Amino acid sequence: MSPDQPLTREDVAGIAEYARIALTDDELDEMCAYLRDAVALLEPIREYDLAGVEPTFHPIGALTNVVREDVVVAGLSLEEALANAASRRGSSFRVPAILGDGGAA
Amino acid sequence: MARLDELSARQIAAGIAAGDFTATEVAEAALEAVSERDAQVQAFLQVSADLALQAAAATDAARAAGRPLGVLAGVPVAFKDNMNLMGTRTTCASRMLEPYESAYTATCVQRLLDAGATPLGKLNMDEFAFGSTTDSSAFHPTNNPWDLSRVPGGSSGGSAAAVASGEVTIALGTDTGGSIRQPAALCGVVGMKPSYGMVSRYGVVAFGSSLDQVGPLARRVEDVAVTMGALTHGGRDCHDATSQDATRDFLSHLEDGVEGCAIGIIPALMEAEGLAPEVRSAMAVAAQRLETAGARIVEVDLPNMASAISAYYVIASCEAFSNLARFDGVRYGYQEPGCKTLAEQSALSRAHGFGPEAKRRQMLGAYLLASGIYDAYYLPAQQVRTLITADYERAFVQVDAILMPTSPTAAWKHGAISDPAALYLADIFTISNNIAGNCGISVPVMLGEESGLPIGAQLQGPAFADARLLTIARALEQAGDAAGMVAPSFAGGGGEL
Repeated sequence: MSPDQPLTREDVAGIAEYARIALTDDELDEMCAYLRDAVALLEPIREYDLAGVEPTFHPIGALTNVVREDVVVAGLSLEEALANAASRRGSSFRVPAILGDGGAA
Repeated sequence: MARLDELSARQIAAGIAAGDFTATEVAEAALEAVSERDAQVQAFLQVSADLALQAAAATDAARAAGRPLGVLAGVPVAFKDNMNLMGTRTTCASRMLEPYESAYTATCVQRLLDAGATPLGKLNMDEFAFGSTTDSSAFHPTNNPWDLSRVPGGSSGGSAAAVASGEVTIALGTDTGGSIRQPAALCGVVGMKPSYGMVSRYGVVAFGSSLDQVGPLARRVEDVAVTMGALTHGGRDCHDATSQDATRDFLSHLEDGVEGCAIGIIPALMEAEGLAPEVRSAMAVAAQRLETAGARIVEVDLPNMASAISAYYVIASCEAFSNLARFDGVRYGYQEPGCKTLAEQSALSRAHGFGPEAKRRQMLGAYLLASGIYDAYYLPAQQVRTLITADYERAFVQVDAILMPTSPTAAWKHGAISDPAALYLADIFTISNNIAGNCGISVPVMLGEESGLPIGAQLQGPAFADARLLTIARALEQAGDAAGMVAPSFAGGGGEL
């Protein structure tokens, strides 16, 4: 994809696959129209002369890591961590196969 | 006899301390107000009556035992449903998290509970905070207490509506691009977005991590100030790397007034496309009131503000895509049954768990972060952030705060704006504040000349000058007659003490 070329339906289908959002054909059409409008709204950002301007990725410039004493503190218990899972087996989250055919995207 | 919705947080806490009424009586009156009013307003997603009565009983027991009471002792509060509170679900108004039971309590919520507050429940919002109407909630819309056919604004629309209808004294919301201030303006209440880093976000579901901030909504600036004190009490939260150890005294200078203050106005902004004439005249009234109270009005400029919308929607969408990638149906959240592969399970769980706007925002973010596209949008957006921040720094050399509209119009009818991109433009006055990490507050000024609906004025101040901003907001409030205002059709209802 290039920012100078209009988004195609194939591009949008590729983005949906990358974003892991299954879209129906109708949704794909709507999404194409939305993305074209939204990207048009963002166009001013490309017309700026930004030569020599440093980016600010975060509002707090002098952000430093927060550290604490290296001591064990209680976290979520196994049961608490699993409590919201839709499927589990024993002490694990249960998922479909990820190897063999199950690994195909 | 006192009516609960007429009392400030400090009056409630003082009344309990003095024995005029008990925290349990306050909780019962508040639950009665919710049950009477919420059928129409629909601000709540869950009412936590048991938690409320337990907290109130604990406050009454503390008083009976002679222990000191917190600053929010017995005060009815409620939380936007993107904040975890043990004993409630945290849904983000999404099917994705519909059954999600809070695994722990967010720091912001815990600090209000530690201050003695009575938690009434969880409030509606735009799904995952994407929106400015609350209509994108997967469960139901919320109605503006001033006119039930209109939106309350968003994304913290449930928070603003619950406060405006007198159901709660204080609500917490989150603000990524105006989501506290805009609904506050549309519902005629006070809403503050504190400086980035002022309030811990631990336990709050993330949307745009470099933009999000938690803040209070209430019917009085004083209640907002009291809540800010409780939220920052305890200082830096070791669970949130962006949390700063900031000033915690928001009350001692609250009544200092604006004598000698300089307030900036931006004439070019008043010509913005889509700005309603009644909002423009309300801003003139607000400026006049501040001037009469002793402030100097000074013209300033934020020349790069015009590009803020583009920069914001790039940054916010990219961060949202990254944050919402965690919802894959495995550890929590909706899981599509019967899938053969993990990839299929993720794609279908996300397709059926997220609503349309949540999918749109993530798709936009995924596109903008794609190889070949990133350099054209994401990097420039972060450079524009530098320019916008520098604009503010220059302006704040001259002035203590900048006055501008919160929303270009008063509340609109449900469904009146259906084009997502058109809705994004309505955020023009609020987003640059998040981009720069400054503080901002919306204060009700008057009812619109044309609409008869509340119009809010926004004050923006420098990062970590939140206490000063509250003083200026209090002066603006004091010069008008909206302090403590409940939406007319709900004032005078039940909830007596």
